Amino acid sequence: MAFSVAPSVAPSRAGETHLLRVRFFGPVRTLLKLDGFDLACPAPCPAEAFWRELLARFPEVEMLRPGIRLARNGEFLGENENLQPGDEVALIPPVSGG
Amino acid sequence: MVVDVAIQTGPLDLPDDLPPGAGAVVRFEGRVRPEEKEAIIEALDYEAYLPMAQRQMEKIVRDLGHAHRCLRARVRHRVGRVPVGETAILVEVCAAHRAEAFALATAFMDRVKQEVPIWKSAAAQQQ
Repeated sequence: MAFSVAPSVAPSRAGETHLLRVRFFGPVRTLLKLDGFDLACPAPCPAEAFWRELLARFPEVEMLRPGIRLARNGEFLGENENLQPGDEVALIPPVSGG
Repeated sequence: MVVDVAIQTGPLDLPDDLPPGAGAVVRFEGRVRPEEKEAIIEALDYEAYLPMAQRQMEKIVRDLGHAHRCLRARVRHRVGRVPVGETAILVEVCAAHRAEAFALATAFMDRVKQEVPIWKSAAAQQQ
């Protein structure tokens, strides 16, 4: 699997975007056959805006979304926390370690 | 409490030593079973989001250490391919008395299965 750049994501209506490094794991990675990619998001980027941009590019992730939590730079994203330029955002589907 | 957590490839093991004052040592080994979701398997493949997975396990152990006064907790989680019968996770908790050690080990395993970004997938049995 590979890490790719997404050149086709449109800027936000405000015309201001920033890049997030998105990483996929477990069933999401299996579904997309991709380790991750760089996603352009409006700035500032709340979780809902992130999901909107992500699903525009990968609509098939919608079916897994209910079980997915987001992590920002290796920590679970807080309820009202925004994503910042250059953040690493991981999609964390239900875990199964142990 | 001493906390020692690692994620690694290859078989898991811990040195056989005890912290001073330990009267109880609880050791749990989670091993790969030959069946997964009603299918026969020969191994499980584990992947982890590093370093978040290690930090989460350390955080859980420290958090539980406030409620269960233990002397030391050591955790090893394996990633990569783990054949049937081999150990995927090894947890060892040392305490003065057994109740605290059992409680921390049990609570830790419950939280690992909810909060630690590690995933397993079955490796199909080859014919």
